Amino acid sequence: MWAREKWVLFACVVTRLLVSLLFPSLQQQLDKSVEFSTPFTSYRSLREGVYMLNNGFQPYNGGVVHQAPLLVAMMSFIESDALVALLYALLDAVVAYQLTCIAQCFAASVDIPIWLPSLLYSFNPLVLLSCVSRSSVIFTNLCISTAVLSALQGEIVVASIAIATAGYMSLYPMLLLIPLLSLFDGKSAKTKAVICSSLTAVSLLALSNVICYRSWDFLEATYGALVRFDKLFPNLGLWWYFFIEMFEAFLPFFKAVFNVVVLSFVGPITLRFYKQPFYAFVLSLGWIVITKPYPTLGDAGFFLSFIPFFKPLYGYLRYSVLSCLLLLHAVLLSPIFYHLWVGLGSGNSNFFYAITLVYALALASTVVDLCWAMLRMDYDQGKPNYTLKITQI
Amino acid sequence: MSLVSRLYRKVVDTGLLPKILAALRLLSVVCALVGVGWMVSVPLEGRYARTYVSENALMPSQAYSYFRETEWNLLRGYRTQIETLVDSNATIVAKNEAVASWLREFGVKTAIYRDEERGDTLYGVLHASRGDGTEAMLLTVPWKNADGFDNISGVSLGIALTRFFSRWPVWSKNIIVVFPENPEGALRSWVEAYHSSLDLTGGSIEAAIVLDYPGVNDYFDHVEVNYEGLNGELPNLDLVNIAVSIAEHEGMKVSLHGVPCDKIAENNFWSRLLVLALGIKNGALAGLRKVNGNEAFSGWRIQSVTLRAHGTTGVHDVTTFGRIPEAMFRSINNLLEKFHQSFFFYILLGPRYFVSISSYLPSAVILSVSFAIASLDTVINNQYKTLPLSSKYNLLALLIWAATLFVSFAIAQLSLKHDSPQTLLLTTFLIPLGPFIVKRAFTIADPLSYRLKTIAYLYFSLVLTSLLMVNFPLAFGMSIIAFPMIFVSKSTRTKNVFLLLLSNPFIAIWLICNWFEPDLQGPAVFSRLIYAWKHLNCWTWFVICLGWLPTWLLLALSTFDTHQDQRPKPPAKTA
Repeated sequence: MWAREKWVLFACVVTRLLVSLLFPSLQQQLDKSVEFSTPFTSYRSLREGVYMLNNGFQPYNGGVVHQAPLLVAMMSFIESDALVALLYALLDAVVAYQLTCIAQCFAASVDIPIWLPSLLYSFNPLVLLSCVSRSSVIFTNLCISTAVLSALQGEIVVASIAIATAGYMSLYPMLLLIPLLSLFDGKSAKTKAVICSSLTAVSLLALSNVICYRSWDFLEATYGALVRFDKLFPNLGLWWYFFIEMFEAFLPFFKAVFNVVVLSFVGPITLRFYKQPFYAFVLSLGWIVITKPYPTLGDAGFFLSFIPFFKPLYGYLRYSVLSCLLLLHAVLLSPIFYHLWVGLGSGNSNFFYAITLVYALALASTVVDLCWAMLRMDYDQGKPNYTLKITQI
Repeated sequence: MSLVSRLYRKVVDTGLLPKILAALRLLSVVCALVGVGWMVSVPLEGRYARTYVSENALMPSQAYSYFRETEWNLLRGYRTQIETLVDSNATIVAKNEAVASWLREFGVKTAIYRDEERGDTLYGVLHASRGDGTEAMLLTVPWKNADGFDNISGVSLGIALTRFFSRWPVWSKNIIVVFPENPEGALRSWVEAYHSSLDLTGGSIEAAIVLDYPGVNDYFDHVEVNYEGLNGELPNLDLVNIAVSIAEHEGMKVSLHGVPCDKIAENNFWSRLLVLALGIKNGALAGLRKVNGNEAFSGWRIQSVTLRAHGTTGVHDVTTFGRIPEAMFRSINNLLEKFHQSFFFYILLGPRYFVSISSYLPSAVILSVSFAIASLDTVINNQYKTLPLSSKYNLLALLIWAATLFVSFAIAQLSLKHDSPQTLLLTTFLIPLGPFIVKRAFTIADPLSYRLKTIAYLYFSLVLTSLLMVNFPLAFGMSIIAFPMIFVSKSTRTKNVFLLLLSNPFIAIWLICNWFEPDLQGPAVFSRLIYAWKHLNCWTWFVICLGWLPTWLLLALSTFDTHQDQRPKPPAKTA
């Protein structure tokens, strides 16, 4: 029964280990590429944090480390490089396994093979390369998928702990608590989830304080720098170009605006699709991936792995071909345009910025298209009627 | 938004969309024609612009140039000495020693960079009296020129110019003078070493001028400016502009790509089209055809041109030629920052005419789109449109694509080890004949045949798009030469064989080079492709092998006879 799923998970681990083994320098190259690595997720800075922690320094004094203290502490237990590669491969396999479980939850309503989502996740080049680059988005992704799976299975405590941990790792996933709450029935369950996740967050922060030699500096380095977009590094997101160009007086205001943009759509999406909470969750995830300050291709790969669950809506999608082509081109051209700008010097920052816009457009058109399909399904009251043509006004 | 929705309603009402979808194949051909037409229309009046110097600090020819009669005898003295050296068949070591001793006489620090395989290079650094020594200008004179002649006047000019520069206190950038054994491997090797291992260096190189004046003639006819670099790189247009403007200011005529000066002077549509076409051809074949020297600086953020003196009779003497590098150095010396940003993507239509990227890029974009449309056509316009995304044909086609990529990579690597163009051509000649030979003995499923084409066209379109900005001439050339691939269909075998042979990467390049490129006759182009990869870091070989060959292999596979699928499934076992 489970044979195929097991093979997929096995293949997931083996391909990751094999790629790391065959191309030993790939990890460092990917870790230096702007597509897979940001100051907040890079493996280099994580190692730096581990080194400082092991040698009795404050990890956040140097201004290089931005990962959560507990993550740094956890990584400091793993010395050997091979073990780290194995850990990352196994974590990815766990996410793939959780996708299989989610597919099982939807076996009745979504007509896809159970193994398909995990297969697509395992062999999605974005996810694969992100795993090989050892970007720390994988930890966040694992927490998010754990949260959504346990919520679907009705395990309120595990789900709230997982989403709080995801929020602890990189802050913005905390917003996913809102769509997650609508997955729980009844007021008491919701209250329980809120209390549970708050408690988890507080205790994680307290534990971090202990680890960082009783210092609260990590709050500033991890969340403060993230929200204030302190590290002006080019990345695939929509933030960096604005803040490079902007006059200093306007910076605080627009940084607030950009944060509000991330925040603003999660609630409305949850409210509008409260009858399909899982789909609201995925759409909110997509929104955060588009608008967060330091996105990587690993985030997008994780979000796209949920698209197979939208199978019943495929008939309604209006420009899926366009979205696919946009994404393909954005992913292919972004390293080339970055090279033209930073390597050869014949292009300039506008080149790379243009391609990040294409990338955002690709993800946004995916999200918008899925929203449209959900609304159409609503309109047709669950019985697809593809012949009826409707136009937005 | 209301405009869009109105448009959308109109499209739905008139049923335009199904009509367009049915005519995708036609649309793709139309796109390709528009793309080519666009490029041909670029030399039309009003579509191109006159060049102008964008960076105000350059001020070409604003200072009087002094490399004149006073230097004449010195130059001739050096020339006589070098002529003696060359006539006595002195080794490169001896020649370099002699020149190095002369350079040291007027205060140039010299060093010799040795490369057993690619050739030695003598170079000297003249430290700037007014600069901080972090930037440098390069004067390069290869001992042999692109055609393999002894660059006697060029070398003596290089020495005389260095002596002349050394007496001037105006320099704010270091001057480096380089004498490589040849303008290709040796110079490239030196440039690589300069940025990695050399002890004597003079800061980051802003610009390089390569001088090419073969023989011992006192007089020459006109100057040719070569500018195209490897891998589609071009020097900043301002450098070409100041070269042209200075040469014309000194009364010399300038030619590009070997087009005669009077042809350029006609300045009509055909002459501009000729320069445009030769520019694209030379850009696409850069590194494969004869290497002038400026190519060696590609990839290091160094702007470089080659100045070449043509003809043995004429009114201009050798010091006039020397005044071009002199005035160019004065101009570059004025630069406070970098060359201007927006001047890296252009095509020249004449020494004084150019088109900017926004005018020519759409043509290659449209060509790339035409392949994407062809890909869409193979999905939509057949009975397998409804196959689910995860059907086995899609997965199988993806696997086959991965396999062709691997095979192509293996072919590319093997050819680096054992260069045998005959085998390569023969094999690729036989593959399209496969369907004739095996007939029904080997068939593939009908839907698979369509999916292979889908992936082939889509992949090629993506390759072209990625190549557009990096190497426009190659992307444009490839899309045109490979265009017959679009007509491959399952209807006629003979037509398919013809189309596949015509669009095969190796055969097509071989034909093109034998037709248009006198330097690359016979199978020479293949050894040059491999030489360029090994010694010049020119990617053309791998672009062809990894971008074009997999597409072609997929299409060749899709032309095999097909069978309708749904073989009877084995009866289910019952307990």
